[in-house]
Amino acid sequence: MRDVYRAVADPTRRRMLRMLAEVDELPLHEIAAQFPMGRTAVAKHLAILKEAGLVIDRKVGRETRYRLNAAPLREIQEWLSFYEQFWTQRLDRLKELVEENNE
Amino acid sequence: MSETVVLETELKRPIERVWNALTDPETLSKWMLFKTNDFQPVVGHRFQFRDAPGWDGVVDCEVIEVDPPRRLAYTWSTEGVGSVPHSTVVSWTLTEDEGGVTRLRLEQSGFRPEAKQEIGGARYSWQMMLDQLQSIVAEA
Repeated sequence: MRDVYRAVADPTRRRMLRMLAEVDELPLHEIAAQFPMGRTAVAKHLAILKEAGLVIDRKVGRETRYRLNAAPLREIQEWLSFYEQFWTQRLDRLKELVEENNE
Repeated sequence: MSETVVLETELKRPIERVWNALTDPETLSKWMLFKTNDFQPVVGHRFQFRDAPGWDGVVDCEVIEVDPPRRLAYTWSTEGVGSVPHSTVVSWTLTEDEGGVTRLRLEQSGFRPEAKQEIGGARYSWQMMLDQLQSIVAEA
């Protein structure tokens, strides 16, 4: 299963997401130039982000370009607001039940 | 954006009665709306919430913390939707105030159960991460 939480738990990957948030897309070598690690390591991080659906890549000639896809982050927010409603409703019922019964 | 859902409420009843409503299977069904008949407040006990109106599917749970009448926690796993993993932890904290009033706090955190050890140590960095992500989501 793709795991957005794990993908964004790493500071390097968060920085990559921020970089990509500021531009349309970036080729691998430009991203790699910003990090004190080899291109292979950078590509591995990008692969994890890609697997989580947070970046999309495409080949242009011999280089791979990456861009941000923020939709999965929105899904997390949608779940949070779903549960906020869900629990609010349940807690209301709980309160009613506990306070009414066995006066 | 937050990594947890946190809700608090006050109930004008003693703490034992609120604890009972959280842990007695029959009472639990009444307010959760799930027909849940296999709950037991025992660490390691696996149970399910199922058959709720407007809820498609089953919630698989495992009790991970029981400290009557103050703390109850269980994992909460359902089918994931889209790319979001859907395995969280639901925890209840009860505090007795003066005059037979109980404060109840619900927290549902987005951690996967196998990542339980991260909850304490990583909380600070998670918060940082989420703060940072907020701007990304807003911009994108």
